[in-house]
Amino acid sequence: MSLTDCKGIMVVIETADGAAKSVGLEMLTPAKEIASAKGTDVTAVMIGEGLEDAAKQAASYGADKIITVDNNDLKAYSEKHAAVLKELIEKYKPETVLIGATQNGKDIAPIVAGKLGLGCVTDVVSMKLGDDGKIVFTCPMYSGNILSDNVIDTVPQIATVRGGSFKKGEPKDVELPEEVVIAESMPYGDIKTTIKETVKEISEAVNLEDAQVIVSGGRGMGSAENFKLVEELANVLGGVVGATRAPVEDGWISRAHQIGQSGKIVAPKLYIACGISGATQHVTGMVGSDYIVAINKDEDAPIFDIANVGIVGNVMQVIPAMIEEIKKLKA
Amino acid sequence: MEILVCVKQVPDDSVKVVLNGSGQPAIDKIAPVANAFDTYALEMAARFKEANGGTITAVSIGPDEFKTSLKNCLAVGADKAYVVTDASYDGSDSLATAYVLSKAVAKIEELEGVKFDIIFCGKETTDSTTALVGPELAEKLGVGVVTCVTELALNGDKIDAKQETEEGYNTIEVAMPAVLTINKPHYDPRYPTMKSKMAARRKQIPTLTSADLGTDASLVGAANSAVKTISLSEPTKKQAGIKINEKTFEETFAKAMAVMTEAKIF
Ligand SMILES: Cc1cc2nc3c(=O)[nH]c(=O)nc-3n(C[C@H](O)[C@H](O)[C@H](O)COP(=O)(O)OP(=O)(O)OC[C@H]3O[C@@H](n4cnc5c(N)ncnc54)[C@H](O)[C@@H]3O)c2cc1C
Repeated sequence: MSLTDCKGIMVVIETADGAAKSVGLEMLTPAKEIASAKGTDVTAVMIGEGLEDAAKQAASYGADKIITVDNNDLKAYSEKHAAVLKELIEKYKPETVLIGATQNGKDIAPIVAGKLGLGCVTDVVSMKLGDDGKIVFTCPMYSGNILSDNVIDTVPQIATVRGGSFKKGEPKDVELPEEVVIAESMPYGDIKTTIKETVKEISEAVNLEDAQVIVSGGRGMGSAENFKLVEELANVLGGVVGATRAPVEDGWISRAHQIGQSGKIVAPKLYIACGISGATQHVTGMVGSDYIVAINKDEDAPIFDIANVGIVGNVMQVIPAMIEEIKKLKA
Repeated sequence: MEILVCVKQVPDDSVKVVLNGSGQPAIDKIAPVANAFDTYALEMAARFKEANGGTITAVSIGPDEFKTSLKNCLAVGADKAYVVTDASYDGSDSLATAYVLSKAVAKIEELEGVKFDIIFCGKETTDSTTALVGPELAEKLGVGVVTCVTELALNGDKIDAKQETEEGYNTIEVAMPAVLTINKPHYDPRYPTMKSKMAARRKQIPTLTSADLGTDASLVGAANSAVKTISLSEPTKKQAGIKINEKTFEETFAKAMAVMTEAKIF
């Protein structure tokens, strides 16, 4: 693709049950800042089915243009989404493509980068416009213990952006922008994968990625039976249950709840870590939380280094007492 | 079944990496290991081979020292190993690495007189954690890819791969040849035995260079990579909060509740 005719920022917004995922709306914040500094605009792209409401959301958070590819074939994320995004990039020639670093986002980005031979960075936690007009993308490495600042030499360039890294703007009550392109179908090319079965293991309505409150349990909960206390505390707080790898591997809770390097990256307003030591592979997934409470009986546990409040104590004593107190507060 | 497992050698990820005086990761004193996710990939490949027959080849792009991890791979499931070493590859980004790997795949296939049915990669490395190389390699090879796989089964001339999703999992059918990127399965990699270590020690690990692979010099190395790292830093430390550890549980709990209520977190 040629350098000169690419401009603007394309923000790919993933949807779930017709609503935009938070990270998609969060990305509009830096996208708008950079686009206005460069005198270009922001195009929101949505690929899925039943996207009208999500398109309105994108508009209210400031997208200048909207492209939806709305088709029953695209209801669930698959390889077809990558084929469609590749077509859109070739057709609309953005300078920068931002994609939420969700599981699907991290799947689609390298596939499209590979198809088009574009430079790509992963899990961007901050970005700014350099003096030379290039965007500097900051990405974590070594379990988040080191941050790297990167620029990308190709145009277009692709970046996946970590949820919780940017704050959503204030939604405005606006009509859909004039430039809305609705495509019903696109060529998929040669499709090599088929989804045979989809299983949901998370019962809560809220995704961990979008949760405001997460109560997580670790090996220190001791047993599947005791782990129920974590669920109970999450319930009274209207939050979602998280876990370290240990309880997942012991079968106390399903894998979809795992937080960390081989699980999910989360950034809730409140994160309560119960019986969790604070291994870097876990911490990298939750250190972006606004307020961290840690309960651990070992006063030297590394989790206390990142906690706003560290409670040195036995989870079997602290959690039930907290549940009682919170019930009183909420009554 | 012809299986290739791509392996990168990285600093032991249980050790916290900091920057040294010249602003580079201080990793020279950290023991080198095979990337954890690649060891999960090798274990999954070994189990797949035990069930379906075949040969496992491990390949690594990097300096001669990477033979250390490849030797270990030979002791825990790999039958053969190659190291791809060339100074011109230093500093390659994921796209350039995927390109070199695609050339290595072709060369090893030629040398061994085989065609790989499945290429395993870890879902990411624990050093640069980009999670890009596997899918980019699949695109270079023009084959299908399933990411974040935790289980797989043979299904005729196809594979059924269990892919982790945000809410649970998908079972995805993909035609072979295919690239799979592997997340932690429900089991741990096997340990080497005395016997398997001895056998591994006796095996040769051939080295391939850019001349063997026929890579285009304008597509590899730091200078020709799309992604350029301009600087490294350590994240600003989260401000230490308060740790509450009073004489009795009641005192500790009361104090903690007071702090949390004050912060209006509930
Ligand atoms: C490649 C790789 C990827 C990984 N990915 C992940 C990941 O995604 N997520 C993840 O979490 N881990 C991951 N891990 C594993 C990680 O290294 C740790 O092993 C794991 O996070 C430890 O979980 P834990 O804190 O629950 O258990 P432990 O480290 O065993 O800690 C248990 C804690 O509970 C405390 N405790 C015990 N009893 C009580 C009690 N009664 N009351 C209060 N406290 C108590 C103990 O003091 C201890 O601090 C990964 C590892 C590798 C190598």
